[in-house]
Amino acid sequence: MEQIKIFFKAKCPKCPAAKEIGMELKREGVPVFHYDLDTIDGLAEASFYSILSTPSFIIEDEEEKEVASWRGVVPTLQEVRQRLFRSN
Amino acid sequence: MASVIEMKEERKDLKEEFETTDMALFVRTSEESMNDWNRQRIVDALIRETYIDVDTAKEIAREVEDLIVTSKIKMITAPLVRELVDTKLVERGLEQARKMHTRLGMPLYDVDQLILHPNKENANVPHGPEATNLTLAERIKKEYALLSVFSQETADAHMRGDIHLHDLGFVDRPYCSGQSLEYIKRFGLSLPNSIAMAKPAKHPEVLLAHMVKFAAGLQSNFAGAIGWDAVNLFFAPYLTGMSDRDLEQLAQMMIFEFSQQAVARGGQAIFTDLNLYWEIPKHFENVPAIGPGGEKTGKNYSDYMKESQRFAWALFNVFMEGDGSGRPFFFPKPLVHITEKFFQTPGHMDFLHHICEVASEKGNTYFIFDRGETAKISECCRLSFKLDQTDLEDAKEPWKMRYCALQNVTLNLPRIAYLAKGDDTRLFSKLTEFIEIAVKAHLEKKVFIEKLLSIGERGPLALLAMNRDGSPYLRMHRASFLIGMVGLNELVQVHTGQEMHQSRQAFKFGLKVIAHMKLLVDKLCERYGMHFVLEQTPAESTAYRFAKLDLKFHSPRSGHIVKGDLSKGEVYYTNSTYLNNSAVLNPIERVRQEGLFHPLIEAGALTHIWLGEAKPSRESLANFVIKTFRQTQNDQIAFSPEFTTCNACNRTSRGLRSSCSYCGSAEVDGITRITGYFTKLSSWNKGKIGELHNRYRNQAYIEAKEGGTVLKAG
Repeated sequence: MEQIKIFFKAKCPKCPAAKEIGMELKREGVPVFHYDLDTIDGLAEASFYSILSTPSFIIEDEEEKEVASWRGVVPTLQEVRQRLFRSN
Repeated sequence: MASVIEMKEERKDLKEEFETTDMALFVRTSEESMNDWNRQRIVDALIRETYIDVDTAKEIAREVEDLIVTSKIKMITAPLVRELVDTKLVERGLEQARKMHTRLGMPLYDVDQLILHPNKENANVPHGPEATNLTLAERIKKEYALLSVFSQETADAHMRGDIHLHDLGFVDRPYCSGQSLEYIKRFGLSLPNSIAMAKPAKHPEVLLAHMVKFAAGLQSNFAGAIGWDAVNLFFAPYLTGMSDRDLEQLAQMMIFEFSQQAVARGGQAIFTDLNLYWEIPKHFENVPAIGPGGEKTGKNYSDYMKESQRFAWALFNVFMEGDGSGRPFFFPKPLVHITEKFFQTPGHMDFLHHICEVASEKGNTYFIFDRGETAKISECCRLSFKLDQTDLEDAKEPWKMRYCALQNVTLNLPRIAYLAKGDDTRLFSKLTEFIEIAVKAHLEKKVFIEKLLSIGERGPLALLAMNRDGSPYLRMHRASFLIGMVGLNELVQVHTGQEMHQSRQAFKFGLKVIAHMKLLVDKLCERYGMHFVLEQTPAESTAYRFAKLDLKFHSPRSGHIVKGDLSKGEVYYTNSTYLNNSAVLNPIERVRQEGLFHPLIEAGALTHIWLGEAKPSRESLANFVIKTFRQTQNDQIAFSPEFTTCNACNRTSRGLRSSCSYCGSAEVDGITRITGYFTKLSSWNKGKIGELHNRYRNQAYIEAKEGGTVLKAG
C-alpha cells in the first residue's frame, strides 16, 4: 500500500493546512508519516527526497518508490486522494 | 638571543664554586657576535617569558649552570640550555611556565630531510629553496599555533586526530578569500608597505598586471584560495573594440601569468579561481560599469554582455590549447556558473559545448550550479553562498563584495564511530562534542586574527586592514568559519556495517549525520553571532593523516575500514560526504546521490567524474551537465581526465602510462586532479596515491559510438 510523507517546519505558514490533510488521510487509514525539518530525522529524510521547501508531500509505493509529489505547495485533499487512487 | 655556547679549551676544568661571570664560556648570539656566559640571562628569560618568581628563577639558573660545568661537555647549544632550564621547571611541577618558556624549532635531521626531499603535504608546493623556506617557517608557526594561539584542549584534539586544524603553518593569516576586480579598478593598486602607488588602470593589460600583483599580495595574507568574481564581466568595459586576436592574447596573458607565478615567486602557485558567467548575473545587470581610469563609463554592466562573452570564450580557447607542452593549466581554475538565466541567454549551447570540449580535452572546467532565483556567488573554491539583502546592496558597489573564510577545521568522522561502539546516542553525542571543539578552535583563531588586525596598516596584516572605502579590506563581520568532515562513508560503515552506496539505509544514516551537523551548526551561529558553515574539506592530506592516526589508535578495527593499500601504507578515508571512490555507479547516479548532501553543505560541495583516458564528446558532456542542473541538487561537478607528461621530449599524452607514448622514455610523470586542482602525481602523498588506484573511471558508462565517445547520463 502507498504511504504519504509530509514535510513541514514549525515556522512555515502553510504547514498547518498540510498537516491537517495528513491527519484526515490517516483517519481514512492511509499510512502517513510527518517529518519536521527542524529535527535530525526530518531534515535527513527531506534531504533524501530533495525537499527544499515546505510543506511538501511525497507519495511512495510499497517499495518506497516515489509515485507523486507536491513541493512547497499544499494540494487539496481531493488531489491527494486522486493520486492515491490512481496509484492503486 | 643566545644560540651557541662554547667553552674555552683552557678553562674546561672549571670548578663548581666559580662565579658565573668567571666561567670561560662564549655565547654565540643571533646578532652574530660572541658574548660571555652569564647566568643572569637565564634568570632574565624566565622572568620575561614566564610568571615564576625571581628566587626560583635564580635557583634554576644556578642549577643549570652547575649541570653545564660538571658535565664537561665541549660545546653546548642555546636550545640545550633552554631544555635544561625546562627540565628544572618540570622537576618543580611548573608545567605552564615550561610551556611558556619552550623553544620552537626543528631537529637538524628534519631540516636536512626537508632541504633534500620534497614536501608532500601540499602538492601545490614545489621543491626548492623558497619552498623550503616556506616549509621551515610553517613548521615553526605550526608549533607556535598549537602552543600559543590555541588552547591545550584544542591543540590536543588536533594532535590526537579528532579534528584537523588546517594551515596551522599559516596561523597568522585567514584561510581563503574572494574578491571583486572592481576594487582595483576603482582604487588602483595602492597597497600598504608598497613603494609605489598605481592609479586605476587605463588599459586592459595594466588591469591584468594589477590583478596579478594584488593576487600575489593576497596570497601573502591568506593561507588558501584567492577567488575572483565575474572576471569576464568586470574586464568587459576595458575590452570594447578589441580585436579577437588581441583579446585572445590578453586571455593567454592572464592564464600564463597566474599559472607561472610559482616560478616568479619561487614557491607556491597562487590557488586562483576565476568565476565566469555567460549571462550578466541579475544582481549586476543595472550596476554602473567602471571602465578605464576607474571612471564610470555611463553604461550598466548589462550593456557589456558581448565583450564579457567574447572574453570568456577566449579564455577557454587558451585552456583548450594547454601550456607550451600541451598540458592542462593547473591554475587558474575556471568556474562557470550554470543558472536559469544561462539557459535563457543567446549562444549558451555553443558556449556550453565549448567549455565541455575543454572539460573533455583538458579537464579544466568546473561547472557550478546556481539553481532557482536566488543569487549565489562562489567566491573561492570552497566558499559559496547565497546573497542576502546586504550582499545585494553591496552588489550595487561591487568593490565591497569581498569575503573570506577565516579558518577551516575538519572532523575525523570515522573516529567518532569507533568511539561510539555501535551506540547511536553515543555517536551523536560525540559528534556534538567534536563540533564544539571545532567551534572553540574558531573562536580562538578569531581572537588571534583580530589582535593582528587591530594594529592596523602598521601591523602584520596591513593589507587586510587597509581602508579605501570606509571598511577594512577584510570585512570580519562577513567572515565564514568552515567546519569540514572527512570519512562520512567510513563512519557509516563502522556504525552500520555497510558503506553508503551499499544500501538505502546506510545512505540515509549518512544523511542523518550531516543533518545533525547542519542543525547544530545553525544553532551555534545564533549562539555566537558568527557564520559557521559546513564544508566539503579538500582534505588533500587530512584524509591520509586521519587514516594513519586511526590505524594507530583504533586498530584492529580501523584496519578493515581504511581504504587504500595497507601493505604500502597508501591509506586514506573517503573524502567528506563522497561515496566510495571505487564503487561502480552510473556517474549521473553518483552525481545525484552525492548531490543530496549539497543543500546541507554551504561551502563548495563538488562531485568528481573520473574519466581516465577517455575523451567523451562535448555533446555528451553538455547533456550530462544539463541533466545535472535539471535533475539533481548537485552544486558543482568536474570531469577529470588523466595525462602522462614526458620529461624527456616534453610531450603530453592521454592516460597514465609508465613510459612516453611518443619517445618511449621512462622519465614520465602523471597528471590528474588531486582534489580541487590538477597536479603531477610525483608530488602526491601516499594516501592520495592509494585513492588514485581505487578511483572508478566510469569505464562501463563510456561508450564508443559513431559520432564519438559518449559519457552516458542515464
